[in-house]
Amino acid sequence: MAVMFLSDEWAKQFEDEVNRSSVYKAAAKGWKWTVGLVVEAEPDKSFPDSRGVVMDLFDGSARSIRVGSAADAQKCDFVITAPYSRWKQVATKELDATKGMLQGKLKLKGDLPTIVRYTKASQEMTECTTRVPVIWPDGN
Amino acid sequence: MHDTGAGHLAGRQLSNTTNNAVEYADEEPSAFATMLGGLIEANVESRPEKRKDFDSLAARVGIWVTDIDEGVTLEFRKGSLVVHNGMQPKRDITIRAEAETVMNLSNLRIGLFGMPVYYDGVGRGVASKLLQGKLRIEGLLSNIATLNTVTRIFSVQ
Repeated sequence: MAVMFLSDEWAKQFEDEVNRSSVYKAAAKGWKWTVGLVVEAEPDKSFPDSRGVVMDLFDGSARSIRVGSAADAQKCDFVITAPYSRWKQVATKELDATKGMLQGKLKLKGDLPTIVRYTKASQEMTECTTRVPVIWPDGN
Repeated sequence: MHDTGAGHLAGRQLSNTTNNAVEYADEEPSAFATMLGGLIEANVESRPEKRKDFDSLAARVGIWVTDIDEGVTLEFRKGSLVVHNGMQPKRDITIRAEAETVMNLSNLRIGLFGMPVYYDGVGRGVASKLLQGKLRIEGLLSNIATLNTVTRIFSVQ
């Protein structure tokens, strides 16, 4: 059943997808940092305020994924920032996250060698988001 | 810490600890240029063996990402690096590959005698792309030692 983007239900389903993924479990072994996703406001797309997702990820599993403020997400060890419509493109597989980062469509803050070392884990994390059926604020 | 969107750093020193090790030729470096420059800077800063390679390397290396139609030229100058947007002339080596393969090049392990490892999962993937023509390296035969040095500097493993 589809859930509203950035609702608590969405966060829970996303967390469950990550913890179900054997690919993520193997690829993220040794990961011990928090990751924040900042979803920037786009009022013309029915997304009026910036929001954040705070992911507590540890050694191949998600200890918690919760929705919060953009400021909460910005406090994480790694922060990926993009406008709402870019995140929608990522979650609907219109935009590959790796390409998006190389093109500056998704802005990354954090230790680059670490994130590059875990490229496969971040790709699988993106895959997990695509498996959650979503109701988008601006329609599907 | 690095911000791939930090285009305003063009031409400036990125870190006091690297003594102008990485600079950007363009006023507005592309996100890809900033990312590669940041990656190399972090590697050289944190790993003495990479610093040694960096200090000895003089070469112009182009990297073209085929699925985003963007590239950079890395001008290594024995202890410093100038990152140019796009392909500049007089390159010793030019690497052309998809984004995922370029990221995998940074994940190659370095084995005995400083040689990249092509027999583990990541290495086999890279070798397979090379055989399929999805990873093209121009100037490979005459610059194998340079390519190995660049790979060591790039590698985050």
